[in-house]
Amino acid sequence: MGDVELEQSVAQTEEPQQHTPSTASSVSISSSPSHSLPSSPSSGPYHHHQPTSSTPSPTHSDGPAIPSPSLGVISEGVTELTLVIDPEVAKKACQEVLQKVKLLKGEGEGSGFEGGCGPDPTLANGTVHNKPTDPVSVGGGGIIKPQKIHEEEDPESLTPGSVKSARRRQRHNPSKQSWLLRLFESKLFDVSMAISYLHNSKEPGVQAYIGNRLFSFRHEEVDFYLPQLLNMYIHMDEDVGDAIKPYVVHRCRQSISFSLQCAWLLGAYSSDMHISTQRHSRGTKLRKLIFSDELKPAGLRARRPPALTPFCPLPNATPALHGHGVGGEHGLSPTKRTHQRSKSDATVSISLSSNLKRTASNPKVESSQDEDLSSSSESLECENHDCKTGTPVRLTPQRDFIKSLMGIGKRLATLPTKEQKTQRLISELSLLNHKLPARVWLPTSAFDHHVVRVPHTQAVVLNSKDKAPYLIYVEVLECEDFETSSVPVRISETRIRSTRSVENLPDCGITADQRAVSFSTVPNYDDDNEAWSVDDIGELQVELPEIHTNSCDNISQFSVDSITSLDSKEPIFIAAGDIRRRLSEQLAHTPTTFRRDPEDPSAMALKEPWQEKVQRIREGSPYGHIPTWRLLSVIVKCGDDLRQELLASQVLQQLQVIWEQERVPIWIKPYKILVISSDSGMIEPIVNAVSIHQVKKQSQMPLLDYFLQEHGTHTTEAFLTAQRNFVQSCAGYCLICYLLQVKDRHNGNILLDADGHIIHIDFGFILSSSPRNLGFETSAFKLTSEFVDVMGGLDGDMFNYYKMLMLQGLIAARKHMDKVIQIVEIMQQGSQLPCFHGSSTIRSLKERFHMSLTEEQLQVLVEQMVDGSMRSITTKLYDGFQYLTNGIM
Amino acid sequence: MSQVEKKAGLLRRTSSSKKPLKEKVVLMYDEIFAKEDPAKNNPRFWDELFLMKVNLEYLETKLECLDGDELMKTKDNVNSLFHHCVQTLAEEHQIKVVNALQTLCALFRGVHQKNKSASGFDIINMLMGFDKAEHRMKDLMESLDSLLCGEGSESLKALCLKLLLCLVTVTDNISQNTILEYVMINSIFEAVLQILSDVSSRGRHGYDAVVLLALLVNYRKYESVNPYIVKLSILDDEPTLDVSADLSYRFLQYKDKEEENQGGFFSTLTSMVGSMFIADAEEKLSVQTNEAILLALYEAVHLNRNFITVLAQSHPEIDIPTTPTTPVPTTPTTPLGTTPPSTDVMNSSELPLDPNLQTSNLLITFLKYSSIVMQDTKDEHRLNSARLCLIILTCIAEDQYADAFLHDDNMNFRVNLHRMPMRHRKKAAEKNVPSRPLVCAVLDLMVEFVVTHMMKDFPMDLYMRCVQVIHKLICYQKKCRIRLHYTWRELWSALINLLKFLLSNETVLLAKHNIFHLALLVVNLFNMFITYGDTFLPTSNSYDELYYEIVRMHQVFDNLYCMVLRVSTNAGQWKEPASKVTHSLVNVRAIINHFNPKIESYAAVNHISQLSEDQVLEVVRSNYDTLTLKLQDGLDQYERYSEQPKEAAFFKDLVRSISLNVRKNVSLNTLSQDILLKEFSTIS
Repeated sequence: MGDVELEQSVAQTEEPQQHTPSTASSVSISSSPSHSLPSSPSSGPYHHHQPTSSTPSPTHSDGPAIPSPSLGVISEGVTELTLVIDPEVAKKACQEVLQKVKLLKGEGEGSGFEGGCGPDPTLANGTVHNKPTDPVSVGGGGIIKPQKIHEEEDPESLTPGSVKSARRRQRHNPSKQSWLLRLFESKLFDVSMAISYLHNSKEPGVQAYIGNRLFSFRHEEVDFYLPQLLNMYIHMDEDVGDAIKPYVVHRCRQSISFSLQCAWLLGAYSSDMHISTQRHSRGTKLRKLIFSDELKPAGLRARRPPALTPFCPLPNATPALHGHGVGGEHGLSPTKRTHQRSKSDATVSISLSSNLKRTASNPKVESSQDEDLSSSSESLECENHDCKTGTPVRLTPQRDFIKSLMGIGKRLATLPTKEQKTQRLISELSLLNHKLPARVWLPTSAFDHHVVRVPHTQAVVLNSKDKAPYLIYVEVLECEDFETSSVPVRISETRIRSTRSVENLPDCGITADQRAVSFSTVPNYDDDNEAWSVDDIGELQVELPEIHTNSCDNISQFSVDSITSLDSKEPIFIAAGDIRRRLSEQLAHTPTTFRRDPEDPSAMALKEPWQEKVQRIREGSPYGHIPTWRLLSVIVKCGDDLRQELLASQVLQQLQVIWEQERVPIWIKPYKILVISSDSGMIEPIVNAVSIHQVKKQSQMPLLDYFLQEHGTHTTEAFLTAQRNFVQSCAGYCLICYLLQVKDRHNGNILLDADGHIIHIDFGFILSSSPRNLGFETSAFKLTSEFVDVMGGLDGDMFNYYKMLMLQGLIAARKHMDKVIQIVEIMQQGSQLPCFHGSSTIRSLKERFHMSLTEEQLQVLVEQMVDGSMRSITTKLYDGFQYLTNGIM
Repeated sequence: MSQVEKKAGLLRRTSSSKKPLKEKVVLMYDEIFAKEDPAKNNPRFWDELFLMKVNLEYLETKLECLDGDELMKTKDNVNSLFHHCVQTLAEEHQIKVVNALQTLCALFRGVHQKNKSASGFDIINMLMGFDKAEHRMKDLMESLDSLLCGEGSESLKALCLKLLLCLVTVTDNISQNTILEYVMINSIFEAVLQILSDVSSRGRHGYDAVVLLALLVNYRKYESVNPYIVKLSILDDEPTLDVSADLSYRFLQYKDKEEENQGGFFSTLTSMVGSMFIADAEEKLSVQTNEAILLALYEAVHLNRNFITVLAQSHPEIDIPTTPTTPVPTTPTTPLGTTPPSTDVMNSSELPLDPNLQTSNLLITFLKYSSIVMQDTKDEHRLNSARLCLIILTCIAEDQYADAFLHDDNMNFRVNLHRMPMRHRKKAAEKNVPSRPLVCAVLDLMVEFVVTHMMKDFPMDLYMRCVQVIHKLICYQKKCRIRLHYTWRELWSALINLLKFLLSNETVLLAKHNIFHLALLVVNLFNMFITYGDTFLPTSNSYDELYYEIVRMHQVFDNLYCMVLRVSTNAGQWKEPASKVTHSLVNVRAIINHFNPKIESYAAVNHISQLSEDQVLEVVRSNYDTLTLKLQDGLDQYERYSEQPKEAAFFKDLVRSISLNVRKNVSLNTLSQDILLKEFSTIS
């Protein structure tokens, strides 16, 4: 499939011109492109019917697979906005657009449909496809928004754009167009293809078309390719940039998270440019624009797009996207609901906060404390009302939060020992806690939340020679929408104990639930008063005994004298041997916790099962009683370039999808990467996993023995499951290591999770780069005899299964090679990353898919690679080298 | 009385010799102490008075030297003076306010000085008049409250605190200061807390505020409901943290001083006059000031359970008040321009970057401080400080949350305790203390104390507390099954040595102390290890080592047994306590009697005269099964700390000594306020 498309695109580079009339209009007016393209001359008559049908789905089921729109969500966005947009303005905008269309019509010679359609096509187009959350639903709203973008950001681009396209229009060749057109219209046309055409096509019309077409894809689909899009925006020619920009700007308006992500990526990918060009580059300009926060939602905030993180689809995203076309009248009742919801949220927060304040011991302290509270939270929190008024601090809290995390990393790097680093980290984080909760969130997370606390004592410094990456756990409260939900009120550290006792009181437990209810679902009734009173009673009940227990300290419970009473009638005898035995037994029973090692503080922290850790931290947290409490973790990297990691992660995700699609039971674990700049970022840690180095160092036994110890003997189901997991993951990562030429594969970079999966981390050396070019690691991938032992030896079934999985995986990957290559290829643009060093990176990558081999030949190849890797002396050498230089076992 | 006369004489002499030079304010004072209403002839008298610079000395002496009758006659005028002072406090004119504050100081002090023996009610009558007292004091406290909380000058706030301190310390025994009853009714707790919660004012007034609180909390704490105790105990929010930060800051300061001394002390050690020097050098420190802070810390720990969490809050050792963070808003458009403190924590990123910066917390600072204080317990102040430190540690050891923190495996610290130089002990390379859970430092400190205080003048009380702290910590470990990687052996040998010391000084010590009580505690500590060792010892080897240690030092236990048996068979006051010790020794003796023959026979069989440790351990290991122990009840129970009635006398004395000291310093300070006043007059 991929092949075909590719050829097509090459063959048709000249073709799309046929559509330039419409594309031109889309460039200049940037409205409704998607359907002016399909409605080529041939489909002209067909097109005439469309304008009248303002409901899209029946006629245009040909777009991307659109789930039927769910009314509730759609109208929410729509109606909200209908309220905002002045009908006069809308009308005026419509007229402007019409005029422009007329103008073009006058100029252009072909494509009679446009003349015929007059104003209508635009109207229809605007409503049919694209722009999911487009403000105005019926009355040419599709036009208004994009136009604004142009008017605001680069009004001058209007004219040159249209002139240029008008000129191009002259050269178009109608006959071949239909092929490409049909492809673009077809159900199979997905984001991946869109990106590929955007990258490969030199034809501005196609580019502009795709730029507009982006609006019609689901957010998270496009988000996956965000690095590619932005890299193209930065490094490719103007036309591509112009095609992409409206979409990016549009999304930035909708979401703080998207804005920040764009800005960070823009910064990171611009960094390879020469400093002088960089300053004036498009990327830098857009970045500045985003940071200046001019891209706040016009007027009242639009419904926030649900995609928080690029790679995680959210269920409610889909319907929302496609629903916009439905008329505003549908939205009436839901709007009411939303409105109410936000109101009740606000009141809940008030009741919450007043609740807390009430407990303060006296009015004066309270007031000063309030000041503290507000002042401490303000800088991050930027106040609740800002989301309504759209004050310029929209992005500030999160940026400050990230900045301070990075600042900590920088300072840690100056400290000489791990111990000092850890201590410093803990104290710095405890300072950070004073600023929380706030409207900040972890971008690596999959759900909306507000960060409320960093359990600072749990943070650990990770193993690194000169940088100071560290891992923190973050307590968050899940919320509906981090932009609009109110920020939780600060609960003081010192209140841990009383909040815990509050929890014990039954009626308080109920209030907590009610509170949760009013947060997460739509409350139609106001239970705030109730919550107030009950909670107050709770507080009283708790506080009062406190006073008592404190003030009367003279209850002596035991007197020492009675302890060794002379008259213990029947002495109980115990055997000393029993005590000794119990001691050694109990010690033997807790072997799976790692010893603490001052040189490797993370080992112990990572070994602790995640659920236990969550439980433990929750118990110690003042926020732990809140039902929406969640624990997240993140690795903060400062001084490291994560762009390659991001690239690798994208490839891994793509391969994972491919394997899943092709039903190859290979297991891999791509982890989320957040690039913040070219030398900083965040990584989502893999829970319940420790490095093989740590395993070996702590357990002092071969890997197989460790498996037996952790999971049970050879025949147990637990062991067999773990072994299968190991094999499936090993096959996946071996393939990835081969395809991406992942190097630096020492045991510190390979994790083992609690289920037996191995997970490779640290993709700092991929493709064309390898560490210090010592020429180690010449084998295709790392396969040590220890790994083979875990798989049951060379003759075992599991080992054959492993090889079979490799073969299947390779065949599947080969089938979808283009999708993989494309990710890498686009990122090569303008990049100085070491993984793109040399000219043959992409060619070599393609070669490793061995398109020319038959499946039999591939099987032989896999055999060879496995054989070679196993016997590879360099793997052993490299491990030895790592042991000598870095102490990694 | 003679002192008063002397002063009176002095006054007469000066007044006679320098008659023409009398200041106007003095003349006005004289007018007040005349019988007539000074305002009668001069309606603006009071206004003018407060524009004058106060002559504290004269006013005070005047009050002192007037005899009872004379004073009663001028009562109305004094009342009026007091009334006007209070009124003036509410005025805008700052000079007047300052003068009024100082005058009040003088009034309080003078009248008390005069009436040392008289009952408090006279004083109240003298100053305010019975009927109006309540009203006046209410006004006074309200004015002070608003001055302290207001936006006014810092020097003014300082002066307010001085006045309060002055008022609180006018009597030696704070509980006899009846005026404080009004301070109880009209609480200034909130105002003081506000002072403490503000970073900049904390730096300036923190010490005074903390001392004031500590003293107020001790007002009739056993007899009545002291609102300050109640308030302090339920205080549950950020300000506590600030109080702690302040305390910690103070401690850091003293510690720094001490460390300087320590440095000097180390250097002199080489010149072989070391131990003499410590006492010398430390004398320079105002031990008493530390006492006040320690008392405050104690009250916070003892009364407020939320405070424990604060104790553990770690922060980089940064001198908070001396580096006023100048917040530079990085973004020109902050939402609310009035929130600089928030930005500065965010920008705390720009804190000084010192790689040697050690992270610390109040607890660590406290431990270090304690280690210094405990080094020398010779004079009474030091002894008191050491006692207070141990009491605080007792409170901490009893607190679940504090214990959890102390034992938290994630929170490791390097605590450099100060160790007393001793001849038989090498000055170890202690700079390389590994970083461990804090409880190790506490145990180290206790061991250190046990080892270093076996002297003729035996601090029995401190020993008791010390052993109790250890016991409480072990109880916690047993309960929570925490296996602390600690070298218990050091503790065991320290305790055995202590028993040895008690034995060898039996006669001397018995004259003064009940040594059996201490011996019982120590033996029961061993019993804890013997019976419950399986729940908290880190390795199975450590259990063997315990037996090894007991068997090795069996002579001490044998002797102890002989001694207590002897005493308990004799009739006498020690009969009962001694017999308790005999019973507690059951298991230890069982162990000795079981293993000794085994070891001897092992030596005989193998023809070894001197068994190595490994060999003994081998014998121990192979002979557990034939040993039966008796389960003793209540080993893991302890008497919870309570201030009353046991400690009440101690705290009474402590508060008294602090009061005296504070009074001395305050008077000095108020006099030097003149300079401040000058500065003031230029400002306004």
